[in-house]
Amino acid sequence: MRLTLIAHTPNPEAMIAAAMLTTTSGVKPSTIYERLLANPEKVGDVISRLEVQHGSILEHNRLVWLLEAEEQLVLDTLLKTKFFNFTRLGDDEWLMSANLRAVLEYSEECEGELGDSLRDSMITVTPNVCHFAGRRKT
Amino acid sequence: MKVRLLSHLSSKNIFSHLPPVNVSKKELLSHLSFTFALEGISRACSHQLVRHRVASFSQQSQRYIQVRRLKNHVIIPPSVAVKSPKVFDSLIDEASDTYQALVDVGIPREDARFVLPNATETNLLMTMDGRALMHFFGLRCCIRAQWEVKELSDEMLRQVREVEPEFFSGAGPYCFQLDRCPEGRFTCGRMGVVIEKYRV
Repeated sequence: MRLTLIAHTPNPEAMIAAAMLTTTSGVKPSTIYERLLANPEKVGDVISRLEVQHGSILEHNRLVWLLEAEEQLVLDTLLKTKFFNFTRLGDDEWLMSANLRAVLEYSEECEGELGDSLRDSMITVTPNVCHFAGRRKT
Repeated sequence: MKVRLLSHLSSKNIFSHLPPVNVSKKELLSHLSFTFALEGISRACSHQLVRHRVASFSQQSQRYIQVRRLKNHVIIPPSVAVKSPKVFDSLIDEASDTYQALVDVGIPREDARFVLPNATETNLLMTMDGRALMHFFGLRCCIRAQWEVKELSDEMLRQVREVEPEFFSGAGPYCFQLDRCPEGRFTCGRMGVVIEKYRV
């Protein structure tokens, strides 16, 4: 199995922070997002208060991978989660995508090479979220 | 109402990393993602949005945010504004006074909000993948859709076409997408006019 992250939504942590603040403040979401983009430190502060249990705030993004794997792994993954999308590109070659909530939940619940690789992707794309998720587990 | 495509995962971003593949655009749509800020819409409108289950929402909470000066934060349907604005206003005044009175005596906001009307303004973030968005446009751009959600979806479509013209030039109400009306006996009977409106 080989998993390569090829693309993701820009500024995913700023969007997660914007989603968090949208639910609890009277400020318009576009204004919140603009302010956060201009202030990366604030993004980190907000993310550190993340309640992962309220998972919908982690869904405003998408990560896309090129997956080289046998069909069985894809089938197993689809049986474990309904929130991953797959497109067959060729023999044992797939385009795979999911949002961060689906990725986080899969990597927490499913042991194995795919879970490990997904965790690596998350560390690259959303390091603060991963830090918090790791802290939560301990 | 203000609609803004805040962020999206573009087809260019994805496919520049792939070798040429023989896969239909329809199949690839589900890998695209679009996040909108939807501001100054009614709760009546947001109720319709959340019926689209293949989507993600982060909406202003009436548990955390106290509604102040309700009268300045309601959406008034055009039909009401023309025919009976006073009847509407009197209900808003009453709801506003009752809400404030409940909050003032210490009723939690989560309970006081029960008296707030569907007209109450709300703001939210909504994310859909490309396939869910096509379905959303199919239903909500239809001439039979309720005016507010139709206005919203038409503006969303305009912005999505700007960033992904190849994938969404064929997006619009289902009659435009399918070249037939799926509304059965409820058809508006103006399919030709509607199709012309959405043609790029």
